[in-house]
Amino acid sequence: MGFFSGLATEAYDRHYTDRELTLRIWSYFLPYKQRLFWVIFLLLAIAASAAAVPIMVSRGVDILDESPNDGWLFILSIAVLVAGIFTWGINWVRRRLLARIVGDVVYDIRSDAFVASAGHDLSFYDEFSSGKIVSRITSDTREFGQLVTLITDLISQFGQALILGGVLISISWQLSLYVFGFLPILYFASKGFRALARTVTRKGMRAMANVNAAIKETVSGIAVAKNFRQEGTIFTEFDEANQSSFKVNVQRGMILSLVFPSLNALGGIATAVLVYFGGLTAVQGAVSVGAWFLFLMSLDRFFFPVLNLSAFWAQVQSGLSAAERAFALIDAESAVVQEAEKYVPILKGDIRFENVCFRYTEQEQVLDDFDLYIRPGESVALVGHTGAGKSSIAKLIARFYEFNGGSILIDGLDIRSFNLHQYRSQLGIVSQIPFLFSGTVSENICYACAKNNSTDIEHTARQIGGGAWLDSLPNGLDSQVGERGGRLSMGQRQLVSLLRVLLHHPVIFILDEATASIDPFTEWQIQQALNLILENSTSILIAHRLSTVKAADRILVLEDGRIIEEGDHTKLMESGGHYASLYNTYFRHQSLAYVEQSRDVFASTAD
Amino acid sequence: MTTTYAEFTLPKRKRSDRSGPVKWILSHTLLYWHLNIVMIIGAIGNAALASVVPIYIGKALDLITIDQATSKALIQISLVIAVTQVVRGVLQFGRNFGAELIAQNVERNIREELYVSLLGKSMTCHNLQPVGDTMARATNDVREINFMFSPGINLVVGSANFMIMPLIFSPQYHPALIAAPLFYMVTYVLSLWQYLHELSPISDGVRDAFGRLNTRLAEALDGIETVKGMAQERQEIELFQGNARSFRDYFVKQGDVEARFVPFLLMGIAQAGGLFHAIWLYQLGSINLGDIVAYFGLLLLLGFPTFVSLFAYSQVSMGVAGARRILELINRETDLDQNLRGASDNIQGQVEFRNVSFAYETGETAIGEINITANPGQTIAIVGQTGSGKTTLVKMINRTYDVSQGQVFVDGIDVRDWNLEDLRQQISIIEQDIFLFSRTIAENISFGKPDAIDSEIEAAAKAAQAHEFITSFKDGYQTVIGERGATLSGGQRQRLALARAFLTDPRILVLDDSTSAIDSTTEDMIQRAIYAAAEGRTTFIITHRLSQIRWADLIVVLRQGRIAAMGNHEELLASSEAYRQIFSDTDS
Repeated sequence: MGFFSGLATEAYDRHYTDRELTLRIWSYFLPYKQRLFWVIFLLLAIAASAAAVPIMVSRGVDILDESPNDGWLFILSIAVLVAGIFTWGINWVRRRLLARIVGDVVYDIRSDAFVASAGHDLSFYDEFSSGKIVSRITSDTREFGQLVTLITDLISQFGQALILGGVLISISWQLSLYVFGFLPILYFASKGFRALARTVTRKGMRAMANVNAAIKETVSGIAVAKNFRQEGTIFTEFDEANQSSFKVNVQRGMILSLVFPSLNALGGIATAVLVYFGGLTAVQGAVSVGAWFLFLMSLDRFFFPVLNLSAFWAQVQSGLSAAERAFALIDAESAVVQEAEKYVPILKGDIRFENVCFRYTEQEQVLDDFDLYIRPGESVALVGHTGAGKSSIAKLIARFYEFNGGSILIDGLDIRSFNLHQYRSQLGIVSQIPFLFSGTVSENICYACAKNNSTDIEHTARQIGGGAWLDSLPNGLDSQVGERGGRLSMGQRQLVSLLRVLLHHPVIFILDEATASIDPFTEWQIQQALNLILENSTSILIAHRLSTVKAADRILVLEDGRIIEEGDHTKLMESGGHYASLYNTYFRHQSLAYVEQSRDVFASTAD
Repeated sequence: MTTTYAEFTLPKRKRSDRSGPVKWILSHTLLYWHLNIVMIIGAIGNAALASVVPIYIGKALDLITIDQATSKALIQISLVIAVTQVVRGVLQFGRNFGAELIAQNVERNIREELYVSLLGKSMTCHNLQPVGDTMARATNDVREINFMFSPGINLVVGSANFMIMPLIFSPQYHPALIAAPLFYMVTYVLSLWQYLHELSPISDGVRDAFGRLNTRLAEALDGIETVKGMAQERQEIELFQGNARSFRDYFVKQGDVEARFVPFLLMGIAQAGGLFHAIWLYQLGSINLGDIVAYFGLLLLLGFPTFVSLFAYSQVSMGVAGARRILELINRETDLDQNLRGASDNIQGQVEFRNVSFAYETGETAIGEINITANPGQTIAIVGQTGSGKTTLVKMINRTYDVSQGQVFVDGIDVRDWNLEDLRQQISIIEQDIFLFSRTIAENISFGKPDAIDSEIEAAAKAAQAHEFITSFKDGYQTVIGERGATLSGGQRQRLALARAFLTDPRILVLDDSTSAIDSTTEDMIQRAIYAAAEGRTTFIITHRLSQIRWADLIVVLRQGRIAAMGNHEELLASSEAYRQIFSDTDS
């Protein structure tokens, strides 16, 4: 479907038959069917009153020709005036109604699309970029709304043309044939221009994209260019892109500039021919002069409907595929299926994996027949190479993904039987790239809690490093964090999301530790926050820091979805097995011993 | 009085008038005065010849009704119509293409002017200006100026002529017939003025509401794991619906204003009134039937300006707004100058900050009361949070920023008294986000020394511990970096930047180091590269690495733009409780 559809398809896209699509769209208009009925009724009224003007005028010409002093003439003039005012007035009402319908329908589709998106599980978001989902919810729905407006405009234009066409045929079918014979020529001419315009526009866009890429590269690289005083070089590069875009876009402009002049000239020739033949017919008396004039006026009124018609199907198709994309998002099926919605009691945090099998895609089995038991209150660090299955375990406990076999029991209850909302309310999760919403620090700490407990927030925040971290923020707890937390350092963001969890008092705590570099002062504060959480929760830690690994009650060494070693840091180091080699690969450089030796080792071996 | 020079200029450019957005665009447009003339002649001719059609239809009607026209007379009229309409097509093309050429030329020149001015600006200016914002001005706003000419001004000029033609041609039938088109023109201008003023704040509202909707939606979906993990879906849905509802309300408001577009009503009144007027004059015997028809046909020409004004004027005002934003960026002056007569010498590497403070243009103080002395060859570690002023501090050394108060000295000379080129050439800054151009690795390394030979490049890469990963690529040093080439990790980018610095061999090195090594082998390599780079140079390193801090000659801890603690490792162990904790907690 549609011209651009190939560029934007996603795996969850589905093809709706025309019937399904129509019914689906209709279901959104159904609540507003009364208003819609009025809009259509008014559209027909507009078409009629707009068509009435030239008909009345032509009638007037005839009366003037036959009996110049007829009293009807003034009534006719007033009727023309009334028709003008009437057309405008009805149009006003019609457009107000339509704005409401379009606004409401677009709102409803958007709302449904977002509700559906919020319900999709994380495997969905792994697979599909959130940017594209956003554009389906906002831009595609908007495009659909524009289609509705377009169609209604066309209805009134066509209504008017049809009425006039009918009148013309009733006057003289010979002359009508001539007028209608001209329309296909116009139609194909404008269609030809559209095809041409599309080609040159595509070229123009590509050239424009090149310039923009050149600008983007150099705007970001300006610091480097300046530090090394290489401004001239990058200017040359920009200039080439700019000049070539100019050339391509001038070509495009020439084609587009030709469209209306050519079509107008075509229309002018048609008028000239009609003046002649129509004039002859009128002289012979086969039609009246008024009728001849009506044919001439009508020619103009067929012009735009035909032009619009040549563009119509492309627009309808792209509007419908926009709707289709939004519906596909709404209808995408969730992979996580709860078998029941049972009430979840206050949990103790006893976690058991029994013969669990899990894979993201058909090919790669991540967990196979996996068993694990975590005691209530225990903290477990998961270590291993990338792909060993560490985060899969954490994500399954959070019920972000569906597993393919075995069972996961929380406090002895099947995780699939839970009311997910109640279950997740007892979890605390900090992801690898901690996410903050724009707003203040305290709003972020209090993301899930009842508002207005500022003393609680303050108290919790002050528990960490005596609150020194708050003093390093411009406005303490009221500091704005910026979009996605961008105004805070990675370490501060992590601290805020840990405090968020701390205030939440979760039964089960899941941490995917950040790998970003964090300054030592903040890192020390993060450790404090972490210790406070570990005291009161069953914790699953995907550890990247030596200090976190050491803080855990038990370390599980994973490889290819199996536990190959377990125990605490000291014991595992002594045994000199897999953990000891992992330590040497990932954790050695984090130890103070390494820091103490670094100068002697590296300064001497340099070059 | 000092003359300021931009840091980059092109020779022999005609300078545009930058005193205001309208004047600025005008000065760009007037370079193409001949195209303007083509456009205007085209517009006048197009409208005048369009008027020929109703006028000759009127003549034809008189021929038919009064003279029982001959076929020959009708053919003459038809020929006049056909020929004039073809000529009209040519003139209309002249108008369109003239406007299009102005649009494209002005777009290209403005983009170039903006670009040159960006290159000429100091780094202070660039650092205060978000890249996204600059991009928006260089792409979207420049485009708006193009659209302002074509279709904007093209249609405004074109449609204005359609408004004027009925005024010119009507009086030939009867002087009084000027009334209807005159009435329309006056009321049209007034009502359009009112319409545009009423619409503009609402359009802004629609745009803002859409922006809010989009931003929060993008945030909620990017943070979906947090939303779900905290079971906050319902709250997010409420928030989304609130935003979507507010957009809907603005949308409807906009629809209401657009629905009541008064010029359409005025046109209806003018046409009906004109018709009435003409019939009356006809009955008085002052005009012919053909005159009525011609006159009414002329009034129908008013449809074009009425329809076009729905969007042409806002297009023009959007163009002016875009021009204002671009000009604002171009005109943002820089305080830095080349200082060609300044000190020019080999730098030894002594750096001193004396009572330095720096405030942004907004008046917000970024750093203050800074006193640091670094001796040649020393390594200074700078530690602090985002926003504590670390980057600002080090960028004052090469005058990326200039102090607001106090002084920065290099080798005892105030940096502002150095020749800028000489100063910068001997100071190398490696930023946190390392930018590499979409060129080969070799070209990226030799960026600061384009004439470097291959063996030099390789030696630099080896010293920066980059040789190994470079040669692991199929094309080695000729590997192209970027979207269509190799993607590099943060650590690899950093080592390429270090290689760049090895090649230019600066006396002072500023390194904003935020990479983190996942594994110990990489960490070994980074450490080795940094130690080598610091060897024999005064090095300022913004770092989180304990080993860099541990072994620095001086550690500066910044908090909110002030020095919170300063000293070497032993001194800080003695004076700072937090520092002591860091070096004990981790390995207890």
